[in-house]
Amino acid sequence: MNTPTAPSIFPRKVCSPQKEWGEIIAIYLYLAGMGAGSYVIGILLLWIGVPFNLLPTFGFDLFGIHFYLSKAPLLWGPIMVSIGAPFLILDLGIKWRFMYACLNPRTSWVARGFIILSVFIVLGLLVFAKSIFPFQWLRPESSVWFFVEFIAFVFAFATALYTGILLKATKSVPLWNTPFLPILFLASALSTGSMSILLSTLGTGLLSYDSPAIQGLLVMEQVLIIIEGVILYIFLWGRYRSSEQGKESVRLLISGKLRYIFWQGIIVLGFLFPLVLEWISKYYQSPLLLGVAGLSLLTGGFFLRLGLLQAGIKDQIPMQRLVEFQYGLKTAPKSF
Amino acid sequence: MGHKVLVVDQRKCTGCRQCELVCSVYHTGASNPSRSRVKVVKWESVGIYLPMTCNHCEVAYCVEVCPTKACHREPEKDNRVVINKNLCIGCRTCIVACPFGQPFFDHQERVTVKCDYCDGDPQCATFCHVKAISYVDADQANMAKKKEAAHKLADLLKQARG
Repeated sequence: MNTPTAPSIFPRKVCSPQKEWGEIIAIYLYLAGMGAGSYVIGILLLWIGVPFNLLPTFGFDLFGIHFYLSKAPLLWGPIMVSIGAPFLILDLGIKWRFMYACLNPRTSWVARGFIILSVFIVLGLLVFAKSIFPFQWLRPESSVWFFVEFIAFVFAFATALYTGILLKATKSVPLWNTPFLPILFLASALSTGSMSILLSTLGTGLLSYDSPAIQGLLVMEQVLIIIEGVILYIFLWGRYRSSEQGKESVRLLISGKLRYIFWQGIIVLGFLFPLVLEWISKYYQSPLLLGVAGLSLLTGGFFLRLGLLQAGIKDQIPMQRLVEFQYGLKTAPKSF
Repeated sequence: MGHKVLVVDQRKCTGCRQCELVCSVYHTGASNPSRSRVKVVKWESVGIYLPMTCNHCEVAYCVEVCPTKACHREPEKDNRVVINKNLCIGCRTCIVACPFGQPFFDHQERVTVKCDYCDGDPQCATFCHVKAISYVDADQANMAKKKEAAHKLADLLKQARG
């Protein structure tokens, strides 16, 4: 006679992704990364002196003052970051206490990030304001401005890296706990940032397909997308091999509940569409196609952050592992 | 004098969840287990229950990642790790960072909360009649853990020998 066996599979899902950080934090990380990447690329183009098809006097008149917009597409990154920062505040339990968030920079990356973003926003907006205001008393040719631009550049680079380091610093999520994550977010920040420069010039006539600047940007854009794709592959491969929870996170992204975000959002919108459309738009010199490619890339950049946030599965609690080991329990089937 | 710690013996736990109830009553004044600082993890189909309390780790990730120093250690009070509600901004970074799934977000107070040993008289240990949770000297707890580990090793060796 067959004796009934005790159920060997327990109903509780062991590998459930974290729920604390969701869409709001993804928007914050995305805008901070894109804005910082845009400033890094823009200021480099400005320093190198890439020739543009633009008039230095391009701009608009308001209250009898002429505002110059010829450099605005290269320097508007800090505006994006300052739009993104309130999303972090929006996610806080008690929003008015956001100023407390800089009290522990010695060990906390949230506090360090608060300081990094604040410095970048202030200096970046100063540089942006200098570029559009016509006032001579600002002494736009002064070497002091180069110093300000340089400090802002350093902090922009730190901001782009920080978005990845923030996740890496929470050591209990194997998917995030790798130096490849800040590198991946940096590559994404640079590609989305340079694309935001291209998009902001569409229809203004500031850049045309004849200009070396747009040709250089398009080539750089495609190279950055390919580099980002390679880093994403190495990142996922490394995480898959890192631990049980890392493997589950990658599974969740590739074939689990988040597969639509991964394949359609990250891979198709973030990599394939922009690569193909940019190449076609270069061939046909079509700004419309470039615009579609740009929007697709920017959407893909957002989904990259969202997907990686939502796939973050924490390490299994040691006591839970001990109980499973002690009683010979099997891991629950992955139903996500 | 050594400090005291909470020790959980999962084999004694019956899954009554009284610890959750008394914890929430002590800290919030309401018998609402969802606001408790201790959670009982259950494997219902095989009847295994595991009360999860904060370990007040020596190297506490929650303290490391807290941007406001709201999460801090109090060496003079059993070396416990506590959260100052007046400084907490509710960023939930400590929840993401803790490998033991411990600090909890209190949706009513909009801050993160965690075990504070009930200021030296942990209610979960006091009201646990089967003594699945006990509040003992850290040295004693370490010795008990070492003994348990030795017993487990001995059992495994016996099994391996057939």
